[in-house]
Amino acid sequence: MGLLTIIAPRALLRWAALLLLAGLAGAAAPVSEFQLKAVFLFNFAQFVDWPAAALPRAGAPFVIGVLGKDPFGALLDEVVQGETVNGHPFAIERYRDVTQIRACQILFIPASELTQLGEILTALKGHSVLTVTDADERAPRGVIIELLTRDNRIRLRIDLQAARASNLTISSKLLRPAEIVGAGS
Amino acid sequence: MSAQTRPMRRTLMTVILLTCGAVMLITAATFFAYEYLTFRQLTLRNLEILGKAIAANSTAALAFDNPDDAREVLSAFKAQPHVVAARLYVSDGRLIASYPDGATHAPAAPLPRKDGYRFEGGSLRGVQPVVQGGRRLGTLYLESDLGEIYEHFELFVMTGAAFMLVCCIAAYLISRRLQRVISQPLLALAATARQVSERRDYSVRAVKSAGQEFALLTDAFNHMLTRIEGDRTKLQSQLSRLDLLHRITRATGERQDLPSVFRVVLHALEEHMRLDFGCLCVYEASVEALSVAVIGPRSARFCSALALAERERVPIDENGLARCVGGELVYEPDTRDLKFPFPQRFTRAGLYALVVAPLLVEKRVFGVLVAARHAAQSFSSADCEFLRQLSEHVALGAHQAQLYGALQRAYDDLRQSQQAIMQQERLRALGEMASGIAHDINNAISPIALYTESLLEREPGLSERARGYLRIIQTAIEDVAETVARMREFYRAREAELVLSQVGCNRLIEQVVNLTRARWSDQPQQRGLVIQLHTDLAEHLPDIMGSEVEIRDALTNLIFNAVDAMPDGGTLTLRTRVVSSGPPGSANTVRQVTVEVSDTGVGMDEETRRRCLEPFYTTKGERGTGLGLAMVYGMVQRHSAELEIDSALRRGTTVRLIFAAADPLVLATTAGPRLPPPLRRLRILLVDDDPTLLQSLRDILEQDGHVVTVADGGQKGIDAFTAALLQGTPFALVITDLGMPYVDGRKVAAAIKATSAGTPVIMLTGWGRRLLADKEIPDHVDRVLSKPPRLQEVRAAIAELTPAADPATACSA
Repeated sequence: MGLLTIIAPRALLRWAALLLLAGLAGAAAPVSEFQLKAVFLFNFAQFVDWPAAALPRAGAPFVIGVLGKDPFGALLDEVVQGETVNGHPFAIERYRDVTQIRACQILFIPASELTQLGEILTALKGHSVLTVTDADERAPRGVIIELLTRDNRIRLRIDLQAARASNLTISSKLLRPAEIVGAGS
Repeated sequence: MSAQTRPMRRTLMTVILLTCGAVMLITAATFFAYEYLTFRQLTLRNLEILGKAIAANSTAALAFDNPDDAREVLSAFKAQPHVVAARLYVSDGRLIASYPDGATHAPAAPLPRKDGYRFEGGSLRGVQPVVQGGRRLGTLYLESDLGEIYEHFELFVMTGAAFMLVCCIAAYLISRRLQRVISQPLLALAATARQVSERRDYSVRAVKSAGQEFALLTDAFNHMLTRIEGDRTKLQSQLSRLDLLHRITRATGERQDLPSVFRVVLHALEEHMRLDFGCLCVYEASVEALSVAVIGPRSARFCSALALAERERVPIDENGLARCVGGELVYEPDTRDLKFPFPQRFTRAGLYALVVAPLLVEKRVFGVLVAARHAAQSFSSADCEFLRQLSEHVALGAHQAQLYGALQRAYDDLRQSQQAIMQQERLRALGEMASGIAHDINNAISPIALYTESLLEREPGLSERARGYLRIIQTAIEDVAETVARMREFYRAREAELVLSQVGCNRLIEQVVNLTRARWSDQPQQRGLVIQLHTDLAEHLPDIMGSEVEIRDALTNLIFNAVDAMPDGGTLTLRTRVVSSGPPGSANTVRQVTVEVSDTGVGMDEETRRRCLEPFYTTKGERGTGLGLAMVYGMVQRHSAELEIDSALRRGTTVRLIFAAADPLVLATTAGPRLPPPLRRLRILLVDDDPTLLQSLRDILEQDGHVVTVADGGQKGIDAFTAALLQGTPFALVITDLGMPYVDGRKVAAAIKATSAGTPVIMLTGWGRRLLADKEIPDHVDRVLSKPPRLQEVRAAIAELTPAADPATACSA
C-alpha cells in the first residue's frame, strides 16, 4: 500500500503500479504477455537511434505501427499515453495489411502476419523502420527484433544485419541482454 | 663538556628537534586534513562515477526487466572490494538484483528514498537514479565501506611517520653538528668567564670565534673585562689610598704634638706611597719662609744632597712654593725644567718629580707637605689628589694638635689661677688669724719693749753685760714686732712699702748665726749629729740698701732649710762676697754683694728645684709650711735682688742672694743725737683693757714726770675724762687702745672730742701698723701709735700734740 503513495502520478508509473499490483497479486491479476510487450515496444524507442531523415518532423508524432490483427487491444495506447521521445509524442497506427503501411518508426509484426513477411520487408526496404515480432523459434530472418518467450520470460533476439540494413543503430545496452544474430554476415 | 654544560647543548638540540618536529607535524596535519578531505571527496566521486557507470549499464536490464543482466552488471563490483553492497531497483521499487549474489536471498532492503552520495555511519552510501532518455527506469543503491580511505590513510600515516623519522634523524645529525657552531663559542665564553671569576684574573681574554655575532659578543665580553679590570684596579688603588688615609688620620688623631703627627704621616707616606723623599714644613708668615719641621725617616739620606735639615728655613721664592703657600697644590713633573733654586735642589739630589701640597686650615696655609720621587712624571693625578686630601687631613690633625696644646695650656693656666686663688684665700684666712695673733703678741710684748727701753735709758749704773743683754732683748722684741707685722703681709695683696736702710751683711750674718745657734748646733747635737758651720765673710764688704729685718729673716729661713737638708750632719757655709762688673774704678762700675748659704745635704731634684719657690710647696711633710723659700723669694723681689739656687741630688744646695751694693757716697742718715724731751708735766689719761700694758705705760710715763690716770675700759675712760673736766683738772692728753669690749677706742675718741675738742687723742693699738699702712686713721684720733710702743715715739707724739703747755692740764711739779 505504501508503495502506491510514492509512485509518480504519471501514466507509465500508474501502469507500473498496476503491473506491480498485478505481479504482487499473482494469479489474481497476472501481468499479461502483451502488456509487457507493449512496454517493450515503448522502450525500444529509447535504445534505438533512427537516422535523422527517418524521424518525424518537429512536433510530429513518433509512430508505432501495428500490422494486421492488433494483439494489444488498448494496452499499447495506454502505455504511450502522454509519453514523448526526444520531444515527439507517441502515436499508434494500425495497418490492416502491408499496403496500408505508412511512414512509421516501429512496426510490430505479430506472429500471425509473418506469412507475408517477404512482402512486408520489401515494402519497408529503404525505410528506417524498426521491425519487431513476437514470433518464436521459427521466425524467419529479416525482422530486427524478436520477442521470445523463454522460461516464462520475454527475451530479445536482435538481428544486427537487418538493423544495419534498415540503417538503424541499436544501443549496445539493448544488445547486452539480447540474443544477437546476423552479426557475422 | 662537563655535566654543567650538557643541558645547554641538549637544549639547543631539543629546540632544533622540536622545531623540526613541530613544523613537520603541522605540515603533516595540514596535508592529512587536505588529503582526508580531498580523498573523501575523491572516494565519493569515484563511487558516484562508478554508480553512474553501473546505472548507465543497467538501463537495459531495468528497461527490459532482465535480472540476469542486472546481476551481471552488478557483478562488476567484484573489482571494487570496498563496495560491500549494491542493489538495483526498478522504478516501482521492486528489487531486481543485488550484489553480492548471496544478498539476493536476504530480506530485501527497502528502497532508499533520497538520491545522492553521502557518508552515513561507518560507510559511504549512494543512491543513483537509473535514467534512460530522460526517463527514470529505476534506482541503483551502493554501499561502500571506508576501507579504502583507511587503507589510504594507513599508507599515508606510515609514509609520513617514516618520513618524519628520517627527518628527525637528519635534524638530529644536523643539529648535532650545528649546535657546536653556537654552543662552542658560548662554552668558550663561559669557560673564560668562569676562569675570570674563579681566579679573579680580569686580564684573561676570550678567544674570538667565527661568526659576526659571536665576534661581537666576544668583543663586548672582552671589552667588559677590560673595563672591569680597569675599574677594579682603580677601585683597589682607591681603596688602599682610602685605607692609608684612614690609618694616617687615625694615627694623627691619636697624637697631640705636631712633630709626632708629622713623623707618622711621613713614615706612612714613605711606606705606602713609595715616596723617595718627604718632609713637612711650617710656614712662617712673618719672615716669608718655610721652616722644615720634620723630614721623613727614610728621606733623611737626601738631606745633605738637598741641603735641607730640620728647623732650617727655606725662603719662599717666586715659584711653586709661593703658589703652594697661596693654597694651591703644585706638581712639578720634572724639576729639570725649572730654573728656580728650590726645585733645582731636588734636581741635584736626583729627585725629578716634586709635589708640594699646602696644609690648609680655615683657608689659611700654615705649612706644606713636600713629596718627591726619583722618576720624572711619576705622580699620577690620583696621587696628587690623594696628597691634596691627605694634606687637608694632616692640616686638620695638626690644627687639632695645636688646639689641643692651646687648650692644655689654657687648662694649666686655669688650674694655676685656681690654685693661686685658693692659696690667696688660704693666705687671707691665715693673715686674718695672724693679725689677731699679732695684736695679742703686740699687746703682750709692749711692756717688755717699754721697760727695756726705759732701763737702757734711765739706768746708767747697769753693767755693760746687762746693757748688752737688754739690747739683745730690745732687738729680739723689735724682730718679734717686725715678724708679727710681716705675718700679716701674707694676707695683703699690696706690697708693703719697704723702708730701706743701709745694712751690713757681715754683721747681719753674725746676728743670724747667733739667733739660730740652737737650731744648727744644739738640736743636732742632741741626736748625736754634728753640723759644722763655716763663715767665709769678705772684708770691706759694702753695705746694701734693704730691710735688715727682712734680710735677717730670709737668712734665718735659709739656715733652717740647710739644717733640714742635712739629717745626717754636714757642713753649713755662709759666705759673703763682692762682685764687680764693668771697668773697675770708673763711674759705671756696678758692685754687687752676694750672700751664700751652702749645705752638703740631700740636694734637690729637678722637679723640686723647679717648684721650690712656690708657696706651700714643701718636701718636709708635716714639719714644713712651704713658706720659707717663698718668703725669701718675696724678700728678694722686694729688694730688686737676685736669687740663684745651685743644687745637685746628694751633693747639696747653694742658695745665693745677690744685692746691689749701696752707693758708698751716701752717708748713713741716722737720726741725729737724741734730744732729751722737754720736761713738762702733763695730766694724761690712759685707757686700755690690758692691765699689764696700763701698768707698764703708766710707769714709763710717770717716770717722765707726767701725771697718769688709768682706766681699764672705754666707758671708764670716758667717765674719768668727764669727771676730771668737771673737777677742773682736765687731761692734757688721752692715750687709748682701739680694741676694747663694749666701748672701743673710736667711741672713746669721739666722746672725748665731743666733750673737749681741743684735747689730743693718741690711739695706741696692736693694729697700729695696719692702720698706718692703710692710712685708715679713725676720726677724732690725732695720732696712731702701734704696739709695742717705743718710748721715743710716744714721747715725740706727746711733745708734738701738746706744743704749748696748757696750764690747766700741766701739773705743777
